[in-house]
Amino acid sequence: MTERGRLGEYLTPIIFGASLILSWEAVVQLFHIPLYIIPPPSQILVEYVRNIHRIWDYTLVTGMETISGFAVAILLGVPLSMFVAFSAFLRRTFYPLAVTLEMVPKIVFAPIFVTWFGFGFLPKILIVFLVCFFPILLNGILAFTSLSLDLTRFCLSTGAGPLRTFFKVRLPAALPQLFVGIKGAAVNATVGATIAEWIGGDAGLGYYIQIASGDLRMDLAFAIIIMLAALGLLLFWLVVLAERWLIPWHVSQRTTHGLVG
Amino acid sequence: MTVAVSIAGVSKTYRSKAGEVSALDPIDLAIAPGAFVSLVGPSGCGKSTLLLMLAGLLSRSSGEILVDGRPVEGPQTNIGIVFQGNVLVDWRSALDNVLLQIEMRGLSRAAYKERALALLASVGLKDFVARHPHELSGGMQQRTAFCRALIHDPPLILMDEPLGALDAMTREQLRGDLERLLMANPKTVLFVTHSIEEAVQLSDEVIVISPRPGRIVRRVKLDLPRPRDLHLRQSPEFQGIVAEIKEIFLSYGLI
Repeated sequence: MTERGRLGEYLTPIIFGASLILSWEAVVQLFHIPLYIIPPPSQILVEYVRNIHRIWDYTLVTGMETISGFAVAILLGVPLSMFVAFSAFLRRTFYPLAVTLEMVPKIVFAPIFVTWFGFGFLPKILIVFLVCFFPILLNGILAFTSLSLDLTRFCLSTGAGPLRTFFKVRLPAALPQLFVGIKGAAVNATVGATIAEWIGGDAGLGYYIQIASGDLRMDLAFAIIIMLAALGLLLFWLVVLAERWLIPWHVSQRTTHGLVG
Repeated sequence: MTVAVSIAGVSKTYRSKAGEVSALDPIDLAIAPGAFVSLVGPSGCGKSTLLLMLAGLLSRSSGEILVDGRPVEGPQTNIGIVFQGNVLVDWRSALDNVLLQIEMRGLSRAAYKERALALLASVGLKDFVARHPHELSGGMQQRTAFCRALIHDPPLILMDEPLGALDAMTREQLRGDLERLLMANPKTVLFVTHSIEEAVQLSDEVIVISPRPGRIVRRVKLDLPRPRDLHLRQSPEFQGIVAEIKEIFLSYGLI
């Protein structure tokens, strides 16, 4: 790739994004679209700055809920997927249950959790946990059960015990598929937190956006959406960083430079 | 290091909806220490099944297998094994893939590193030891797999169509590499292949297996000098043996 091409890699999306925002501004101004329907980006920025303290406080609330539920889902989901993968009993009992639960839209539990646990932090974490847990668990089970037959045979021929086989071969081989689940969970996490706040909350961006749109303050609503997008991107970016660090060898991590060289 | 293998009355029967299906009729086969024996036959004739039973990776329906006089019950560990699809792991370099064999056995990496490097160098991978599998060609990957099967100096090597997934030219190169590797590191070898030429080039004895249910239809002892270079392979003697085996498959309507 030429130097110019590489520059284009960064410049193209920036130019594209900037022109999108500029055209948005122009169209709204030109056709005098009312503020309560579509606000212009300049007004969103003004509203963002005006409410910056509340927006950041609530971002912290939603962020904490998201990260906590996501972290618990990883800490429970990954080991549990291992147990299910290696236990015939759990595969016959727990696995069908997990698949069934995965089919339930998790958000229906939100009102129930509000009844049980009130309007605080806990029911939000539980919802985030639920929406993150199943993609991690199901992809984890797939990850730990899909070692190729030949590689399994090679491991047996070395006489290595289950523990050594696990750490030297099974675990690293499972990481790429495991990350598929964790990435899916990262995408779900902010959705879970926002809707949980929406249904029963007194703080957080989901709660705030409900108020803003109720008051037809679309400029504020869009400012909140931008923070939610940033929060989601941050979480996803953290997962991508972890992935790059843990599985630099995987096909998804290869750059074109590697293939040429 | 080499070892004697004795296979007596070994068969494999699978249960299916239609009843019992015989994959392999009872087979008797003795492999002398240091001999290179090939099993040649069509797909599904049970030759890979026999190899897996010898490795203790598949249960047998009857018979007994002895390696160095000891019965095979469960996975054998004093062997080196190579499969068709290379089973290198993506996250390790060529050198570390060879040393995986050592680490899995709980042996010292440091003690085997020199030998691993020497083995890789002997198959032309001196400059590629730090490369990961995706940076290696198919032939290089399979050469690495050969080194991994030899690093711990096992007396018995089992190869299940190790060259089957490679293009014709690479196959030819790797046959030569394999022959040289085994001349430098004498082993008892059981080699499974579709390719008659390959079997004749590499083997001390070629065992011809019939279509399913597999049974031995011919044993061809080969006493050709090594290495069996292109010149020798074009000799009437070599070509005669290849033609003889082809005739057998022709009689089964396979070619």
